[in-house]
Amino acid sequence: MSELTAKEVTSRRQRRRERARQQQADEGGVPLRLLGVKRRTVFFLTALCIVFTIYTLIPIVWVIVNATKTQYNILTTFGFWFAHPFSLVSNFRALFNNVDGVGVYFRWFLNTLLYAGVGGIGATVFATLAGYGFSRFRFRGSRSAFMFVIAALLVPVTAISYPLYLIYARAGLINSAWGMILPSLVTPVGVYLMRTFIDASVPQELIDAARVDGAGEIKIFRRLALPLMGPGFVTVLLLNVVAVWNNYFLPMIIFSENSRFPLTVGMGVWASHAAQSGDQNIYPLLVTGGLVTIVPLAALFWFVQRRWNGGLLVGSLAN
Amino acid sequence: MATSISLEQSGSPQGSPTPRAKRSAWAERRDRQGRWFVTPFLILMVLTMIVPLLYAVRESLYTTQLIGGTHFSGFQNYKTIFTDGAFWSGLIHVIIFGAIQIPFMLFLSFFFAVIFDLGAARFGSVFRGIFFIPYAVPSVVAAVIWSMLFAPSYGELVHFMGLFGLHNFSFYSSGMIWPTIFIIVIWEWTGYNMVILYTSLKSVPRELVEAAILDGATLRKVITRIKLPMVKPAIEMLVFLNMIGALQMYVEPSIIGQFQPQAISDSFTPTIFIYNTGVNGQEYGQAAAAAVILGIVIVLISLTVFALRKRRGEFS
Repeated sequence: MSELTAKEVTSRRQRRRERARQQQADEGGVPLRLLGVKRRTVFFLTALCIVFTIYTLIPIVWVIVNATKTQYNILTTFGFWFAHPFSLVSNFRALFNNVDGVGVYFRWFLNTLLYAGVGGIGATVFATLAGYGFSRFRFRGSRSAFMFVIAALLVPVTAISYPLYLIYARAGLINSAWGMILPSLVTPVGVYLMRTFIDASVPQELIDAARVDGAGEIKIFRRLALPLMGPGFVTVLLLNVVAVWNNYFLPMIIFSENSRFPLTVGMGVWASHAAQSGDQNIYPLLVTGGLVTIVPLAALFWFVQRRWNGGLLVGSLAN
Repeated sequence: MATSISLEQSGSPQGSPTPRAKRSAWAERRDRQGRWFVTPFLILMVLTMIVPLLYAVRESLYTTQLIGGTHFSGFQNYKTIFTDGAFWSGLIHVIIFGAIQIPFMLFLSFFFAVIFDLGAARFGSVFRGIFFIPYAVPSVVAAVIWSMLFAPSYGELVHFMGLFGLHNFSFYSSGMIWPTIFIIVIWEWTGYNMVILYTSLKSVPRELVEAAILDGATLRKVITRIKLPMVKPAIEMLVFLNMIGALQMYVEPSIIGQFQPQAISDSFTPTIFIYNTGVNGQEYGQAAAAAVILGIVIVLISLTVFALRKRRGEFS
């Protein structure tokens, strides 16, 4: 038993070391010596990176620090250091209250999970199916159908959201969760990415061999192709979840009841509330709410970091 | 490379099915099953994209009045929008904004990407991770945080400007509002663009760089003569995508407007115009016309970019 554990530990260490070496090889590219870069230049470039890091971290540090403050302290004390009392916990608790009847943050959080979860996963499933269909079958009209999808990449979000609102107004879908989820299921860019990915990673020969052996198309897809699509699936899923999580314009125009809002719209409403009402506790809510909105996405990125495929991110350009 | 969206892809990518002419009836029948994979997506796409678009075009040809109901009015709504200075001023503002912000941001993105790619700064991978953080921050939250940093009286950056003798500096004055949005947008998107350029720089053959160095090329020459031309397609693609994003700008000014209503006019950007006309003002037809015009402007810009690239044979 203990022997086994020891072995496991060594192999894990080895793997880590190997990964580090691999990373070095990836990162290094051409050694600096060859480029004849002076140490002063390296120092200068690093300093520039630090300047940009400060710019990048200003809002992040600010939101973390101020999530621990009372409204009085947010408005009066130095923004980049903590102040007494430390009220992170009470700020967090307040996210469960219905502030001035404007809405409950936690409710918005659950809504966002629902929209981003169902929308993101559903969109990825549809994109995977379509990507596979376009990549591995040549039926009549497949070429023009794919062109149709590519053309849809150019359609701006605004140009879709407002018309959707008009249709929902007629169809009684205003304030319906479906009104948010249905459009989120359609991601032409997801289809494009999955197709590109499948072209490269699911060998046609493998599929042909399975066909000769008499396997059905659905079985081939599930047993053979799907396991090979892992990294592509995860990347497209991530992009889709982020897209729904961040969506603001569509939910803003199709929801009028605050119990339906996603986080983005709720935060927007709080922002205008903070500016107009003299509420004693709205600023800490806005700041803590902002922090809690960021954390799940940051955690998600961290979680998929290992599977994060840079190559696919390049394809996601058309996002 | 995936950056060049290929219109020719159904031709014969690696390992794709054999051309139609050579196939047996069996293969033909089997290939037809591909429709089952594609159809669910296409149905949804027609329902949630094509139908709404067509409906918007129809709606833009009608006028709704409180008394008299809805009636066909031809191109009246388009005439109204075309002669509405407010809509055009919003559109021109986002175009100017994009024309300044996008080159600046892409310069920064490329600069950092190439530094990290060459390993010319220390702790490159750490910086790369930090620069990407804003992508995980929803733009609404980013705008809320920045708005509070810029806020008159308690905003920390207003205090900061005070250190330079600029007391009670207003980030929301009519002269400063666009630069303020500029700071937010640069913050949000530089890291994302940097990662994309960094990834495409990886595809530059190492031998090419090494050969150049052996020939005595300096760091600057390696960057401008080798790295830059190799990622030009990716940069062009980013210009185009960021331009589409800028034309539809909504979140940042809208959130600033929640804090400071007087800073953001009803037609600050085309999308804000559409929202205020169509959702707040109930002028459905006019808003639909504005949406159609904005859509056409964006499609025209896209097609121009694609045409330019196609002429140079840059489709993969």
